[in-house]
Amino acid sequence: MATPAVRMFRRLEGLFCVYKPSGVHWKLVRDSIETNLLKVLNATPSQPLPQEVRFLAQPSTETEAPKGLTLSATSVPVLSKHPLVSGPEFQNIQVGVGHRLDAFSSGVLVLGVGNGNKTLNDLYRTRVTRDYTLEGEFGTATDDFTHTGGVVERSTYEHITQDKLERVLAMLEGANQKALLMYSNVDMRSQEAYEMAVQGLLGPEGKSAPILTGLRCIHFQPPNFILEVQCLNETQKYLRKVVHEIGLELRSTAVCKGIRRTRDGLFTLQDALTRHHWTAADITQAIRQYHSSKKHRKRSQSPAKKPALKTSEDVTATQQNEANEEAAVGKIKKLVAETRS
Amino acid sequence: MGSGHCICSYATLSKASRPQEKSSAGPVFQYVGQNKKPTPKVFVWGFSFTGALGIPSFVVPDSGRKKPRKYQLTPYRLETAEQISSAACGYGFSLIASSTKDASKLWGMGLNKDSQLGFQRTQHSRHQSYDYVLEPSPVALPLVNPLQTRVLQVACGRAHSLVLTDREGVFSMGNNSYGQCGRRIVEDEVYSGSHIIHNIEGFAGRVVQVACGQDHSLFLTETGKVLACGWGADGQTGLGHHNISSSPVEVGGDLSGVEVQQISTYGDCSLAVSRDGQLFGWGNSEYRQLASVTEATQINSPRHLPLKGCGKVVQAACGGTQVAVLNDKGEVFVWGYGILGKGPNLSESSTPEVIPSTLFGRSQFNPSVAVTRIRCGLSHFAAVTDRGELFVWGKNVRGCLGIGKRDDQYFPWRVTVPGQVVDVACGVDHMVAMAKSLL
Repeated sequence: MATPAVRMFRRLEGLFCVYKPSGVHWKLVRDSIETNLLKVLNATPSQPLPQEVRFLAQPSTETEAPKGLTLSATSVPVLSKHPLVSGPEFQNIQVGVGHRLDAFSSGVLVLGVGNGNKTLNDLYRTRVTRDYTLEGEFGTATDDFTHTGGVVERSTYEHITQDKLERVLAMLEGANQKALLMYSNVDMRSQEAYEMAVQGLLGPEGKSAPILTGLRCIHFQPPNFILEVQCLNETQKYLRKVVHEIGLELRSTAVCKGIRRTRDGLFTLQDALTRHHWTAADITQAIRQYHSSKKHRKRSQSPAKKPALKTSEDVTATQQNEANEEAAVGKIKKLVAETRS
Repeated sequence: MGSGHCICSYATLSKASRPQEKSSAGPVFQYVGQNKKPTPKVFVWGFSFTGALGIPSFVVPDSGRKKPRKYQLTPYRLETAEQISSAACGYGFSLIASSTKDASKLWGMGLNKDSQLGFQRTQHSRHQSYDYVLEPSPVALPLVNPLQTRVLQVACGRAHSLVLTDREGVFSMGNNSYGQCGRRIVEDEVYSGSHIIHNIEGFAGRVVQVACGQDHSLFLTETGKVLACGWGADGQTGLGHHNISSSPVEVGGDLSGVEVQQISTYGDCSLAVSRDGQLFGWGNSEYRQLASVTEATQINSPRHLPLKGCGKVVQAACGGTQVAVLNDKGEVFVWGYGILGKGPNLSESSTPEVIPSTLFGRSQFNPSVAVTRIRCGLSHFAAVTDRGELFVWGKNVRGCLGIGKRDDQYFPWRVTVPGQVVDVACGVDHMVAMAKSLL
């Protein structure tokens, strides 16, 4: 027997992503979302209290003298099921966090509710890449690689041109591509290794050192520059260290001014919910979108396909398809709702 | 709050919220000026006991406790006095040359039993020459104007070498038992300790490129004509016979009237690329290198090789048993016998097979990476991309691939060279790479 609250909870089970602002610990985000969901879940109109038949003694009047007990059957509500007695239906719900984002960074943070946490575990185990945008500034080196840290050294940067930066990025990318091959567990002397290398499927399984599978500069205006990075098994501190090392390679110094995750697996910035939308209604809609896109993907993929590394281009293509589908579905639903009301 | 107690609490700003003092505190370091040019570097790797790497401490260690290093499996920096513009690896020896006008512009190291590095005077006696040269030692070219002539290119074969200069033609040294040095064959000549460095005559125009096969030599003039001399038993001289030729003779066959822009050879097969992108080959075809035109095992006259699907050929490289060409789009095609670069299953092919560009670093982030240079050693390949990365594949003879292990490599693998690779020279069991620093 499912109460309206439980039914609403079933609709909430799944994965969705939020936009975590910088300066906030990821746990606060998770806690506030859990609080919002609990508020709405516990505010659903509770079912009417069940009644039970109890034999109660009649209240005696003063005129009659009590001669034995006269009991009458009365239907009384079951007080033990009253919400004021038993407490709210949901004390806490399982909200899990996917790949973490530290307090300095912002961007897509994947969360799972209820059964979605099992999918989160699977997400962890598959080899999913993540996209980041790193903002850097030349001229300073700090102790924690950010622009708010204590300054360790300052150096000139007038000699840096975009061409030199591209050369350094090419060198770093080459080293990372080689690391991808080195960390894969395939025997390099087999034909299978060659086939996988051609398709770009060679890579580490499970835990490994952080590897940048893609790196390019999208904006260069000394002293500021913005890099787009696609990586595996990384931490945000490692990415800040990469910015610092790029500064060192260019015979100068650099700090990271901001890290923003633009994609985590298949969840992009387009699907991320901002702070004003951390309500149960928006989350329910996001989870519905996720479920429908999962069904669409299962239908379009052949059953024997191995999960390949998802790149941002594949993702945007599928997301566009899904967005179009969702827009169509949404329109139809709106029309149906309007005709009903 | 009311009167009475006023609880003051002092809160200091945390490190995160304190505004950073970007003022004049502290010095500003300048590590590099605005006009810094990249530093040229030379890296060597492979088998070191012949001295071909030019690092004496690998063969004769500095201290008694150290052991000699037989194989240098990763690139090792070779300190040179000048910027090296051209290098060549032979069978156990190397020549490096600089394009300077100074007196010493050519250095040799490695095997010198046939005087392929010229006469290298020993310390103790001025009539004896070293059999193994462990360090880059200057080669004394008999130039008419030693302070004006520049060395353009060097090439090394099995036991002979060729030096191309800009104003004084081609010099040859080393073994001449088959006439590969372009001079008259002297019977029972002793090549060890020989002083002869011969200036080859008989060219109608200026020579722009030289190539050394195992025991033959090829010359390309500026008018696009190819001349050959040396051993011809496999028809590698392309002169229409299988005899020795001791002076350069123009090559005919399908090449008559064709303007050649590049020649290549290292074993017993020779290739030429014409200016309009056609490929011509002659010599040994036992490994199906020329199987597109013939089923015979040798061709002694150049034949045009019709390559399907290769596009316009801009470079060709010829190894001992395998062949590679590069087209104008930066794609590499290989065929022949051996480890061709498409996994262990493809060990021979008589038609060109393209190597997928994803193996050279092309990806969605970099869709325009292209190969700009290909070279062949005796049983391995090397490719340099436009981003300055070096890829090698093939048989790892005594660590010549430079990938840190002695296993054979069945598909292109990056070599970690500290810098951007400009050019590479491949030998039998060692390689020399010319690079420049990133900044």
